Amino acid sequence: MAPLVEPSAGFKFDNVKRNQLLGDKGYKLPTATKTGTTIVGLIFKDGLVLGADTRATAGPIVADKNCEKIHYLAPNMYCCGAGTAADTEFTTNMISSQLALHSLNTGREPRVVTAMTMLKQHLFKYHGHIGAALVLGGYDSTGPHLFTVYPHGSTDKLPYVTMGSGSLAAMSVFESRWRPGMSRDEGVEMVKEAIEAGIFNDLGSGSNVDVCVITKGNVEYLRNYARPNERVEKEQSYRFRKGVTEFYAPRAARRGQDSAEMDTSA
Amino acid sequence: MTSIGTGYDLSVSTYSPDGRVFQVEYAQKAVDNSGTAVGLRVKDGVVLAVEKIKHSRLLVPHANRRIMTASKHIGVATAGWISDTRHLVKRVRDEARDYRSTYKVEIPAKIIAERMGMYAQAYTLYSAVRPFGVSTIIGTVDADGPQLYMIEPSGQYVGYRGCAAGKGKQVAKTEIEKLNLDQMTAREAIKEAARIIYAAHDDSKDKLFELELSWVCAESNGLHVHVPQDLFDEAIQHAERSLNDDDDDDEMEGDDE
Amino acid sequence: MASLRPGEANLGTTIMAVEFDGGVVVGADSRTTTGAYIANRVTDKLTKVHDLIYCCRSGSAADTQAIADVVKYHLELYAAQHNEPPTVKVAASLFQEICYQNKNNLSAGIIVAGWDARDGASVYEIPLGGSIHRQTFAIGGSGSTYIYGYCDKVFRDGMTKEQCVEFVKNSVSLAMTRDGSSGGVVRLAVITKDNVERIFVPGDMLPEQYLG
Repeated sequence: MAPLVEPSAGFKFDNVKRNQLLGDKGYKLPTATKTGTTIVGLIFKDGLVLGADTRATAGPIVADKNCEKIHYLAPNMYCCGAGTAADTEFTTNMISSQLALHSLNTGREPRVVTAMTMLKQHLFKYHGHIGAALVLGGYDSTGPHLFTVYPHGSTDKLPYVTMGSGSLAAMSVFESRWRPGMSRDEGVEMVKEAIEAGIFNDLGSGSNVDVCVITKGNVEYLRNYARPNERVEKEQSYRFRKGVTEFYAPRAARRGQDSAEMDTSA
Repeated sequence: MTSIGTGYDLSVSTYSPDGRVFQVEYAQKAVDNSGTAVGLRVKDGVVLAVEKIKHSRLLVPHANRRIMTASKHIGVATAGWISDTRHLVKRVRDEARDYRSTYKVEIPAKIIAERMGMYAQAYTLYSAVRPFGVSTIIGTVDADGPQLYMIEPSGQYVGYRGCAAGKGKQVAKTEIEKLNLDQMTAREAIKEAARIIYAAHDDSKDKLFELELSWVCAESNGLHVHVPQDLFDEAIQHAERSLNDDDDDDEMEGDDE
Repeated sequence: MASLRPGEANLGTTIMAVEFDGGVVVGADSRTTTGAYIANRVTDKLTKVHDLIYCCRSGSAADTQAIADVVKYHLELYAAQHNEPPTVKVAASLFQEICYQNKNNLSAGIIVAGWDARDGASVYEIPLGGSIHRQTFAIGGSGSTYIYGYCDKVFRDGMTKEQCVEFVKNSVSLAMTRDGSSGGVVRLAVITKDNVERIFVPGDMLPEQYLG
């Protein structure tokens, strides 16, 4: 018998076969947690702003009401993730680790195109099976850069971008208001509004607004920059009066006594 | 052979204290013991010629060719071990095919020469292998015109207008240097190549030999082929005639000495 | 030939290249779509693979970007090894080989065009199956079907650089207005012996045509 060897790296596809089998037998297939999401990014005068909502869903259920979708890649680079939560998390983690080694080797701050190329080559290799749709932003020796990366491995370089199920709502904000050379505060405000457009108009997006401002040599990660869905004080009291719920006194099952009386001779 | 007994000549992975790799030099010796090979690059083509020394009268004429075709337009003439030659020619063929399938263009001479140089050089690095006992002459006409390269056992490769290897290389080189290669046609070069091989042949050492002649030029449709029989016969006649003339000259020169 | 997978960015496109004496003009629209959504309205589908060689990409954005990256790498290597720039033929052959060998997994229709010292200006078309065709002018992408007749009627041998620029601009514009998957702006590149000139035509500055 061949020894069981755990692969040291990469993905395992064992569950593909299992899922196929379950599907063939008519069972409902297990679903991945998706981040039906709004993520955005824009370039302003001195750098760029990334933004994301904080809702994670599993089918119709909100799996996490305050998750983090702006992932760390490098000291000068962050990446918003939409799509399959596990895929965005692990993909950005892995690229982050490779970038760290790369900048240790080169003794330089990594470039955004480097991260973009690594991401696209990784995703292309997996033919879109890694469901990671990303907004990548960073500031390197060549200035600010903003990219979108699709699950199949295509990339776009634009001054303002949106992704995820709320991307249409968010893009409407950018398309009507974005202009070159905006200030930091204008940029942050516009990103907030774009994400809120997603939160309020897209079912897949919700909860809070995370923002990340990247400028030359500086990063501001503004977790829960806006909380437009704060639970308010209840207007009435919904406490039950004491004694409204009837209950019976607990009755202990008398185990052992019954079995002792059983006829076991046959 | 000062190296003998010093122990520094046993492996290619060991330098001698004065910075030599004796195994590579010994490989060159193997080349120097072989029949002469020459290549001429002229204005409209390339001509290759080899003195194939025959160890027996029982060998079928024109069998066991020493000039081989590596790609439609690439000829390879060698001096050295025929078995190593066959291995190298296979490599040339593989490289030519790989290049063609990648770029859909025939491989240029300088690229094939570089790749063969790299290949030969790799055999001067590891103790488990020996260097090739072959000097490889590559003749071709590529997009930039006629080309001639020679790769040594060391891996060194150089482009030439005319080159020679093997036991008669000194004589051959002296003769080649007298030629006006840039003005010469391939047809003329055939005769000269034949003459040079005959001149370099030492009758006292090897009685039997066979001339091989090939070319790449417009007349061969840009392909590497052995020269047609009529031109071949003509070239041999020319070679034999000038050899006899030289003998007469030698006798006269002998008087002066 | 692979069809587009769900969610894959598509260059439902109009691309074009024309030879003239001394150079080529390449052109493309700028629309990238995912389903019915325009993912990028100012895409640059004219991708440089060497100093004087460009490719026009149509089909899957991911596939064509990946192919162009691979070819770019090969051409860089070629230039270093040969100590001279690659020919357009070599570039086109590299594209063709990749497209043919991986035809079952790719959706890519590519036009390769440029200038080299050996053959001058040349245009090669590599359609979906991975075949290769040398052409004096080539059109491609979903929008090209609308302008075959126009191009055949208008194209003449021996057009000047300026005439070719107009020809490409007009043809791509016509395709953009009839093909839903094409649109946005017109991007052009004029490749000659000495340099590459990029031309940008905004969506509201397109040549006049019947708009109903």
